[in-house]
Amino acid sequence: MKEFFRSKSVREVLRILLAVTIGLGLGFIITLFVSEDPIGAYKSFLLGPLSRLNRIGDWLEESLTLILLGLTICIVFNASQWYIGVEGQMLLGAMAAGVVVLYVPLPAFPRIALAFLAAMIAGFSWGIVPALLKAYFNANELVTSLLLNTVALKLFEYVLKNFIMHETSRSVSSDMIPRDLRLPTFIPDLPFLQGIRDLWMKQTSVTVMVYIVIIAVIVAYYLLYKTPFGYELRTVGSNQKFARYGGINVNRTIILSMTVSGIFAGLAGVHLTLAIHNRLIMGMSSGLGFEGINIAILAGNNPLGVPIAGLLYGYLRAGADVMERSSDVSRELVLVIQAMVLLLVTAERLLPTIQERISDHKENGNNNHKNNKVEKLEKEGA
Amino acid sequence: MSLETVIRSIFSTLFLASVIRISTPIIFPALGGLIATNAGVPNMALEGIMNIGAFTGVIVSAYTGNVWIAILAGIVAGVLVALILGFFHLYLDTDLFIAGLGINLFATGSTVFLMYILTGDKGNTTTLKSLSVPELHIPLLKDIPYLGEILSGHPAFTYIAFALVIVVYLFLYRTRFGTHLRAVGENPEAATTLGINVKTTRLIALGISGAFAALGGMNLSMAYLQLFQREMAAGRGWIGIAAVHLGARKPVGTLLASMLFGFADAIANQLGSLNIPSQLVQMIPYLVTVAALALYTVQQKRAAVERMKRYQREQAQALQAEGNE
Repeated sequence: MKEFFRSKSVREVLRILLAVTIGLGLGFIITLFVSEDPIGAYKSFLLGPLSRLNRIGDWLEESLTLILLGLTICIVFNASQWYIGVEGQMLLGAMAAGVVVLYVPLPAFPRIALAFLAAMIAGFSWGIVPALLKAYFNANELVTSLLLNTVALKLFEYVLKNFIMHETSRSVSSDMIPRDLRLPTFIPDLPFLQGIRDLWMKQTSVTVMVYIVIIAVIVAYYLLYKTPFGYELRTVGSNQKFARYGGINVNRTIILSMTVSGIFAGLAGVHLTLAIHNRLIMGMSSGLGFEGINIAILAGNNPLGVPIAGLLYGYLRAGADVMERSSDVSRELVLVIQAMVLLLVTAERLLPTIQERISDHKENGNNNHKNNKVEKLEKEGA
Repeated sequence: MSLETVIRSIFSTLFLASVIRISTPIIFPALGGLIATNAGVPNMALEGIMNIGAFTGVIVSAYTGNVWIAILAGIVAGVLVALILGFFHLYLDTDLFIAGLGINLFATGSTVFLMYILTGDKGNTTTLKSLSVPELHIPLLKDIPYLGEILSGHPAFTYIAFALVIVVYLFLYRTRFGTHLRAVGENPEAATTLGINVKTTRLIALGISGAFAALGGMNLSMAYLQLFQREMAAGRGWIGIAAVHLGARKPVGTLLASMLFGFADAIANQLGSLNIPSQLVQMIPYLVTVAALALYTVQQKRAAVERMKRYQREQAQALQAEGNE
């Protein structure tokens, strides 16, 4: 039992659970102060997403986008690049997918496949500029990627308003995408599943994106931990000088980290266009850009943790929506809770890491986290 | 409107006054970011602190009816939030970048949450009777033709912003604490051996940056407009961080970088009256800033190479001289 609690990953999970519990507890205290019926409000927040089939569907749909964004950030953070251009990459991915589906005259299946390809290329390409600026000019990637997010947003609005939107249309959006060009539901069309499929389709619109996200998680894991590229990327992330002496092309790795990760952001864009909004519309990505960071941090920058973190935050967001509709507490409470969890999880001195630091200290004679990481990578490389 | 009228309006006093007006809410967070960056703790929460400052100012002014108490409250709120950020980073080892994002998230959430409780509205605080800071018409200056129209009649915040540039310059380069602060940013180990308390210095630097960012936020909600809007800072905190980088982490450079963005934004506003799609025009300030950052870093790199070459030349000469002896 003692061994079990000493293992690092178990302790990490306990730490995160504790942080989430404290965050939710603080959320409840806030609710106590502001709500007429705090118990009811909090109940709808915590249990709301499960109360009806369509709400479960909303939760899953929300989570799929979040997981893809989390994977994007996971890759760049593993290279220690503080890159946050996800929002731009996702938005342009959404636009590329929408344009292909709306205007390319192909049968449904190749058309959707082409939309995926276009979105992935869009996400990849939008990462090139900040990547080149960082790799060759050492321009701060955080600043450039943020500024370029606004440029991407304006580009999206420009194309939408001037080329896609109908003059007679009341909202700034494209036509609805025809039903047969949207992503199909994720339950296969098999005779014995007919009942569930019908019931599910009537209530929700969770699509085949489920499978694509599962594949994306595995690909991201494989990419980071089982390929030479992933090894180089993590080495650059833990110690750039060491990587350079080791003969790794650091510039190339940095460029690829920002562009390749954009492919996942592009997929998130597809999900927005072909499954959630079913059209291109102003503000379709609002506020999602930074969610990827929350999720990657909660997942400890490990792609396999991202789905869990994504489902958790998707749940909280869906719950906040239910709470807002059924009580007097507004959904922004969830942002406050998320902020608390983010701070608590990353506060290394807080919660049970204290023990770990002490034991590390005893074993190694130093508690430098980075050195351990480099040693581990060295072993892996040999 | 024709291009000619646009060009003429760019050279008008009104345009130059608008450059000053647009730059002001960027100068504040930029100066805050400058101090924090110089202390080695780049503050990524400027955006959120601006929102909190803007919100606190509006709420307190609406409930007390006193502008000065409101401004004081806004500054206190900004400092407090920045100190929380500092506490998490310095004493609990949270990554500064991530803690900053956490604070931003908290700022968006808490301001909208409280706004809904106080006004029942999630968009803005039009229902509250909040106050604004008076405009200053500077005697003598306001009577000078052209110059008076450009420089006089701005809200008090504008003059504070420009005065702060000088204050920050004097603080960083002419005071003992300013020198300590820069030492802490440059080389914390060396500073420690000199007996400077690195953590306290950094905490104070973050506190100052919080106060400045809050002033920038109140410039938006109590001068630019007379209400608080959801996510009112609208990216200005981040542009302030960009200005610090572009301004080579120096006060005057940061001021010029902030004004470059303000200038580009003002031009974009003027071009908006032409028959060009507004979205393309609105990209201009951001593209200009990215381009300036790239150019600046190229120039930095070239200067570094130049220095290296000179050093090598000098070394070679020294060796030669030794050989000759």
